[in-house]
Amino acid sequence: MEDLKMNEVERKKILRVLSVMVLLNITLVLYLSYFQIFQADKIKQNSYNKRLWANEDKVLRGSFYDRNKKILVYSVKDEEEKINRIYKYDHLYSHIIGYSSREYGKAGLEKSYNSYLIDDGKFFDINGVKDLLDKESIGNDVILTIDHDMQLKTRELMLGKKGSIITMNPQTGEIYSMISMPDFNVNTLKDDWPKIIDDTNSPLLNRAIQGLYPPGSTFKIITALSSLQNNIINDDFLCSGSTTINGYTIRDYDSKSHGHVDLNKAFRVSCNTYFAEMAVQLGQSNILQTAEKFYFNKDFDFDLDIKKSSFPTDKMDKTELAASGIGQGKILATPLEMLMVASGIANDGNIVKPHLVSKVLTHDGILVKSNDIEIISNVGSYDKVEQIKNMMVEVVENGTGTQAKIDGISVAGKTGTAENASGNNHAWFVGFAPAKDPKIAVVVLLEEEGSTGGSKAAPIARELIKFGLNNIK
Amino acid sequence: MKKLNFKVTRNLLFAFEIISLSLIFLFNWPNIDRNTIYISLGLIGLVYVSNILLFKLSKGDHYIFSIVCMLISIGVIMIYRIDQDLGLRQLKWLYIGIVSFFVTYMVFKSYDRWSKHFNIYLATSYILFFGTLAFGFSTHGSIRWISIGGISFQPSELIKIIFIFILACIYSDSSFLSKPKLIKYKEPVTMILVYSFIAILFIQRNLGASIVFFSIFLGIQYIYSEDNKYTILNILLFSIGGLIGYFLFDHVKIRFLTWLNPWEYIDTIGYQITQSLFAIAEGGFFGTGIGRGHPNFIPLAYNDFIFSAIVEEMGVFTGIAIIMLYLILVYRGFKIALKQKDVFYRIISIGISLLLGIQTFIIIGGVIKLIPLTGLTLPFVSYGGTSILTSFIALGILQGASEKEIYGGPKNE
Amino acid sequence: MKMFNILSIIAKYVFVFIVYTFIFLIIRMIYLDINSLSKYENYNGAYLKLLNRLDNLPYKLNDSYSIGQEISLGRHNDNDIVLKDPYISKHHFRIVKDENEYFIEDLNSSNGTYVNGERIFDVKKLAYGDIIKVGNIEFMFINQE
Repeated sequence: MEDLKMNEVERKKILRVLSVMVLLNITLVLYLSYFQIFQADKIKQNSYNKRLWANEDKVLRGSFYDRNKKILVYSVKDEEEKINRIYKYDHLYSHIIGYSSREYGKAGLEKSYNSYLIDDGKFFDINGVKDLLDKESIGNDVILTIDHDMQLKTRELMLGKKGSIITMNPQTGEIYSMISMPDFNVNTLKDDWPKIIDDTNSPLLNRAIQGLYPPGSTFKIITALSSLQNNIINDDFLCSGSTTINGYTIRDYDSKSHGHVDLNKAFRVSCNTYFAEMAVQLGQSNILQTAEKFYFNKDFDFDLDIKKSSFPTDKMDKTELAASGIGQGKILATPLEMLMVASGIANDGNIVKPHLVSKVLTHDGILVKSNDIEIISNVGSYDKVEQIKNMMVEVVENGTGTQAKIDGISVAGKTGTAENASGNNHAWFVGFAPAKDPKIAVVVLLEEEGSTGGSKAAPIARELIKFGLNNIK
Repeated sequence: MKKLNFKVTRNLLFAFEIISLSLIFLFNWPNIDRNTIYISLGLIGLVYVSNILLFKLSKGDHYIFSIVCMLISIGVIMIYRIDQDLGLRQLKWLYIGIVSFFVTYMVFKSYDRWSKHFNIYLATSYILFFGTLAFGFSTHGSIRWISIGGISFQPSELIKIIFIFILACIYSDSSFLSKPKLIKYKEPVTMILVYSFIAILFIQRNLGASIVFFSIFLGIQYIYSEDNKYTILNILLFSIGGLIGYFLFDHVKIRFLTWLNPWEYIDTIGYQITQSLFAIAEGGFFGTGIGRGHPNFIPLAYNDFIFSAIVEEMGVFTGIAIIMLYLILVYRGFKIALKQKDVFYRIISIGISLLLGIQTFIIIGGVIKLIPLTGLTLPFVSYGGTSILTSFIALGILQGASEKEIYGGPKNE
Repeated sequence: MKMFNILSIIAKYVFVFIVYTFIFLIIRMIYLDINSLSKYENYNGAYLKLLNRLDNLPYKLNDSYSIGQEISLGRHNDNDIVLKDPYISKHHFRIVKDENEYFIEDLNSSNGTYVNGERIFDVKKLAYGDIIKVGNIEFMFINQE
C-alpha cells in the first residue's frame, strides 16, 4: 500500500472528531430518555398544555369516592351530549379534590390525577383491543382514603378558624381527613373568583401541605430523640424560667420556672430553657441529622404538590441553634410534616408515606393503581422511640396536653405554641392514640390563634381522636 | 448476502410507507385529494426504484441513500398529517430532491477539477450573501430568503455547501492562499474569511447557521491545521463573540433566557419551546399513535419542531431511531472520508458529514431544550424546498465522493 | 373513528418495530463489511480472487480469500473455503506457503484440480496470475509481494 497520503495524525484527529459527533448524539438520546422518564409527567400537567383539555369532551371524566365508596364528585352527560361535572359538596373537598374548570384550570387531585380521570390510554394500551373499544370514553374512578364523616367533623371543628388539621393512620399512611381553612366553594368559582384572588387569607392555599410555620414546641420531639440517640442527656437541669444565650434571652411560657427537671419532666411541661440549652449541647449537625430522618429538607412523592419543610443547613450561630431546639428560629414545617413526625413515633420509628388516594379503578372495577403501605424512613431504634412515646403519653396524662385526655384511652401528644414574628402565636398539637397500638394520628395547627396549643389545639384533637376511633373502619 | 439484506431494508421501508400512508388517508377520510394519492404512491415507487438503481449503478456507499429514504418517509408522513397542502408540496420537493441527488452524484463523480475553482466559490458566496442582505425578506425575525421568479429560497443553505468546498480548497492547498508568498498568512486569512461569513449570518439574525458554519470550520481546522494554536484561538474568539453577543443583542439574550426557564415566559417567548415539551411529554415511548396526538398545538410543527411532532405521535423510540439514523449517516460519511486518497475529497466528505451531524444535533437539542433553540431545519425531515434540495445535493456529493479513488486492497464497498 | 384509533395504536408499535429492524439490518451489514474489510487490511501476502460472477452461483462465496500460511477448499465444513457442490470432494485441494513460495496440492479429489487448464496430480508451485479451477469455480492466484 503505497502513497498513504493520510498520515497517522490526520487519521487520529478525524477519528476524534467522529467520536465527538457520536458523543453529541448519545447525549441527545440520553437527555430525551431522561426527560421522558423523569420530567414528562409533571410537565404534562401544566395548564398551558392544551392537550389536557383536548380530550375532555370525548371522555366521561372519572368519579371520586371516599374510603367507604360514598360518591363525592362525578360527571354526567345531559340530553345534548354535554358533560357536566357535579361536586356534591361545596367546601368540604375544595383543597383535596379541587376543581376542573375551563377558565380556572385544574387544581387538587383533579389536576394531579388528571390522566387517570380521563384515561388517556397510556396505561392500558396493550390490554386487548376489546378493552379499548369499551373503555375508550369513560375515565377511571379515584377512591380516596378520606372518611367522609371524619372530614365533615374535622371541618366542623375548624369552622371560623384559620389553619389546618390532618388525621391519618400512622401504621398505614391513609389520610382520614385533611382540612385547610379558609377554604372556598368549588361550585361558585366563577362568581367568587375575584374575591378569592384578593383575599389576603389565601383561601386557595392548602395549608396542610403548603403552609410553612415554625413548629414551636412540637419540634421538641425531634430534639428529645436526638438527645437520646446521641446520648447527650441532661438529667438534672435547673430551669429558672429563662436563659440567655449570646445575648438573646429565651423564656418559658409566662417566664415560669420549672425548677429541677430531667428530660422526661422537661418534655412533659415543655420547658423551653431546657431544650434551648440541650440544642446548643447537641450541636447543629446532630439535630439536622435527626430532623432529616423525619423528612425535613426532603421531598417525597405525594398525591398533591407539597412544600418541603426546612431545617437550616447553613451554619447557625448559638442563638439560632438554641431557638431551633424549641422549634423557633429558621425552622419551618408544614402540618403534614409534623403529622409525619408524630406518626414516626407512633409507628415504632417507621414513617409510612402518607397518601390521599387509596386506589384507582376502571369504571367496572378493575384495579389500575394502588397506593400501598410504603415505609419511607426509620427514625430510630425501637427502645428510644418507645421512650419518646412514653413521654408523649405523659404530656397528655399530666403535662401541657391534658385537654386531649380521653377516658379509657391512652393518648400520646405534644403541644406547641409557636411565636410568630408577624402576629399572634400559632397553636399546635400533634398526637396519636391508642398509644400502644395507634390507629389514628392527628395534627392541629391554629394559625395566629393567640393562645397556647394546650388550651386551644388539644381539645380539638381530643374530639377528633374520639370520633375517629369510634367511627372509622 | 448484502443484496438480500438490502432487499429486506427496501421492503421494510416500503411497508412502512404504505402502512403510514394508508393510516393518514384513513385519518383524513373523506377529504382526500386524488392527486395526492397518485403523487404519494408515485413517490413510494420512486424511492423503491431509486434504491435498486443506486445499488446497481454505484460501487460506492449504499447505506446513506437508504437511510435518507427512511428519514424522508418519516418526515413527509408527519408533515402530511399536520397539513395536507404542505404535505403535498413536500412530496413534490422530494421528487426534485431525489432527482437532484442522482444528478449531483453523477456530475460530482465524473468531474475531476472541483478543487481548482476556489475563486469562483468565494465570489459566489459573497454575491449570494450580499444579495440576501440587499434584496432579502424576512420571516420570523430573520432575513434569509430571496425570491427569484416567484420561488423563494434560502441562499444560506446553498452557501453551506459552497463553504465546505472553500475550506476543502484551502486545506488541500488548492487555493491562492497556499501560494509560497501567502502561505504563512493562510490561517489568519482563513479565519477572517470565515468570521466574515459568520458575521453576515449574524446580521441576518440567522444564529443557527452561524453556529453550523463555525462548527464545520472548527472541525476541519482542528484536523487540518498544522498548528493547534489557531484552533484554540478560534474557540476563544467564538466564545468571546458569543458573550458579547449575549450582552449586546437582545435576540441572543432572549434565546438563553427561554432556554433556561421557558416556564416564566410561557405565554410569550417561551411559548414555542414549552409547547414542544408538552408534545414530547405526551408521546411517551411509543407515541400516541399517528392522528391521535395534537402536533398542531406546536407552532411551526412542520418545520423547526417536526421532531417534537414526530416524538409526540410516534414516540421517543422513534425519536431515538431518527437520531441513530443520522448517527449512522455521519459515521458513513467519515468512513468515506477515511478511505479517500485525495485530501480534497476527504475534506469534502468530512465537511458534509459535519454539516448533517451538527445541524441535526443543534435542532434536536434545541427542541428538547438541551441547548437553546435556533432556527434550523432537520435535514431531510423538515418541510422546506431549499432544505430538501440542498440536503440531497450534499448527499449526492457524498455519494459521488464515495466512488473517488480509494486506497489499495480489493474494492469491496 | 374508533377503528382508526385502534389501527393507529397498533401501527405505532409496528412502526417502532420496522424502524428498529431497519436500523439493525443496516448496522449488521456495516459490521459484516468491516469484518471482511479488516481481513483485507491484513493483506501483505497472497490471496485467491474469485473469477465467477457471484450472482450466478447457487451458494455463498467471498470474492477473495486471503491465504496466510495455508488454505484449504472442499465440501467439508472444516475447510477454509467450503464449497457445497457435489462435484467437489470433501477435501479437494490445499495451498501451502513454504519459504515465501506458494504450492497447491490436490488432495485426491474425484474430479480433479486444474491449474491454467491442466490437471495437477502432485504439488505445483503457484505464480502470480495462475488460474485454479475446481468444478465450475475459477480462482486467480494473486501474490502481492
